[in-house]
Amino acid sequence: MKGVLLYCFNTESYRYDKIAAKTVPLLKKNLKLPITIVTNMETFKCMPPLGFVNYKLIDNETGNKINQKSWHNLDRHRAYELSPYEKTILLDIDYFCYSDHLLTLADTDQDFMVHDKVHDVTGYDSYKFARNSMIPMVWATVIIFRKTQRAESIFDMVKYIKERYSYFCELYRIDFKNFRNDYAFAIALHQLGGFKGYETIPTKLPTLPASARVIEISDSQVSWNHQGRVGKISGNDLHIIDKGVQNV
Amino acid sequence: MDIDQLKDISDRSYRIAINKKNALEKARSSMLLAYQGHLFQVDAQMINLVQVLKSKQKKFVILDSNDNPMMVEDADDFLDKLIEKQQEALNIYHQAYNESVTKG
Repeated sequence: MKGVLLYCFNTESYRYDKIAAKTVPLLKKNLKLPITIVTNMETFKCMPPLGFVNYKLIDNETGNKINQKSWHNLDRHRAYELSPYEKTILLDIDYFCYSDHLLTLADTDQDFMVHDKVHDVTGYDSYKFARNSMIPMVWATVIIFRKTQRAESIFDMVKYIKERYSYFCELYRIDFKNFRNDYAFAIALHQLGGFKGYETIPTKLPTLPASARVIEISDSQVSWNHQGRVGKISGNDLHIIDKGVQNV
Repeated sequence: MDIDQLKDISDRSYRIAINKKNALEKARSSMLLAYQGHLFQVDAQMINLVQVLKSKQKKFVILDSNDNPMMVEDADDFLDKLIEKQQEALNIYHQAYNESVTKG
């Protein structure tokens, strides 16, 4: 059985439940798969009615920060045990699904896949991290995995890396010192792949960078303003970094 | 032309370029085919390869997008699906491209 797994934890700065209110209906409409949201009691109480959605309540680990703000991203390695599905599409809560492309990815025998390439929809090529570490970063925004021993070992490795993140940051000369799943998965895949390589999603992850402000969201498209220029995208999935999207 | 008109042309060119790039990436995302558990990025090279191999052999092996081998048992079915996937995506790209160029 296939399904979608989302993580959603509010912080003092951001209401991720409000983002879930926008992304969950899109997932239901375009993927038509069962959805499970991993959250905590505090966030669960804020959740709007989203129709039939499974919830898994956990006591999430805290303490990580990004730009001096709380960042609840320390429990991603638990996705393997928390997912009730044989084949899981694990997504960031700010992934806006406007197509059925993920179904194609989930329709293969691969047991673990992530994006290793990104497409900045503003055209500014904002994401160039080649000089920020000794290994290529992957994007933990979309992870497709099956319940196999290999997939389990990857999540276990991420947990191991998380507990020793500063060591691995030094080892791989990673500039981002706060824990980041993108690098944790990149390291895990590198180590478990015998330092030789791993399977990836062959397309690019469409992303709207934090420097763009979302101005409109509908059930078919997203519009933004980036440095005074307005852009839009329709019918294609989009990872939106701007947390202001919660109020659009 | 004054500088405002020139700036308008520049802005219009920017919008067309970005719309084209985004529409092309969308087409590439659509040109993925899951077949017998394997994943294929459908492009002209893949279609041509399958067409050529099909004309020579009944069964043949090809590589998926992660270089894993797959035995193609029913070449007609596989080729039909590749072409369908590619043309579906390119038709949408064609529409988006025309809209982008005409509207700017």
